[in-house]
Amino acid sequence: MPLKNPLHPGTVVWTGENPGILLKDDPDGPFTSIALFFRIFYSPVGRGTVLLLLQKPNEAVTLPTAANVVITDNKALGEYLLETFIGKLPAFATLPGCQSAQIEMMTEGYPEGDPRSCYKEIVRTANLDVELVWDGLGKPVALELPAELTGGKENELYSLLVESTRPQIIVNGEQLPGKPVERVQAGIKTTTAFLYFSETWIHPA
Amino acid sequence: MKNITAGVHMNERIPVNPGEVEWAGDNPGIYLRDSVDGPWTGLGIFFHVVYSNYGRGQTMIVLGAPNESLGYPQANNICMTNNRPLTDYLIRDFISKFPSFKGQSGLDAMTRMDVESHVSEGDMMESWSETMTSQGVEMRMQWQQLGQPFAVEVTPETCATGEHDMYSVFLEAKQGGISVNGKDLTGKVTDRLFFGKQMSTAFLAISETWVKPAE
Repeated sequence: MPLKNPLHPGTVVWTGENPGILLKDDPDGPFTSIALFFRIFYSPVGRGTVLLLLQKPNEAVTLPTAANVVITDNKALGEYLLETFIGKLPAFATLPGCQSAQIEMMTEGYPEGDPRSCYKEIVRTANLDVELVWDGLGKPVALELPAELTGGKENELYSLLVESTRPQIIVNGEQLPGKPVERVQAGIKTTTAFLYFSETWIHPA
Repeated sequence: MKNITAGVHMNERIPVNPGEVEWAGDNPGIYLRDSVDGPWTGLGIFFHVVYSNYGRGQTMIVLGAPNESLGYPQANNICMTNNRPLTDYLIRDFISKFPSFKGQSGLDAMTRMDVESHVSEGDMMESWSETMTSQGVEMRMQWQQLGQPFAVEVTPETCATGEHDMYSVFLEAKQGGISVNGKDLTGKVTDRLFFGKQMSTAFLAISETWVKPAE
């Protein structure tokens, strides 16, 4: 058993789901399209859905030039995740598109499909119709990561990882360019397209 | 995980559980009785499963007469679901092994219904509720006076099934209730000892992952 007592002594920061798709044109180049989705069940600023969508991650632009946006039904939650979570992930913190992303209010959002085969998140605003698709799904793996193995290196993590080898980001009917690339998480070779269910971030005691 | 001894330093925990994931999702419950030492007079458990080998789905089980081999309308022993194979799996491999449900004849006799509507309400800061309806029957579970969330990580030695590793987030509800067609089940939320912590028998258990340990 990894803990002396089954009750974790740390403080739950937030819990929910956190799937993502990060695509590249060139495996050695920068990310060309990014979608990071959050369905939060509990956080200090309440529940809600947040989608960080970066149609042009390497350009400091937003709508109408490009869909570099944070779509949410809880503005405070969107701001909270940008400041305390997304902004601390090395892959995102310095991206011009992330810094210029404006908040758009979500009008509709729901999941579709089955994470054993093909799974989708549908998110809509007044101007955007976004479909995130995770296909070519692998076997689920339960993770319990110490802080040093996480992106932000501040908090421990429980999560259920399901990798995808055939993801798509579709914005207003147009598929964004790029393919997933290999990444290594906690010693596992996986891809930059992933479902994360039952995800809990815990600030160590 | 079984191959790590208790009390090791946090840095020595295995980051990738080598076991097989059974299911992930939410699994809140409310257990009612007339006295701390008495038998359960009302049991309610809800599942919102986002991943399993039987697909996704929701299930609510209410046993208004847990130890009576009766279904509805003779007793408020009812199961509503939108995924019967998933529910059969949860009952066989999980619920029937939970200490509060084990041996309860109402679990075998309960009337099964396909859910027609399902509503979740609340903020999980103060309160939460799950309501399901089918065939003119409404079942509602309510959690109130919610506490701060805490993470739980158990092994087969301490798991409710006795067979799994399990990760979860718990929120204790100081008050809670179960109703069928607007009528509250008898009994009240009481305290129980939960891994050395006094805790109510009404709780939210969210973001769970159940793992069958590797051989």
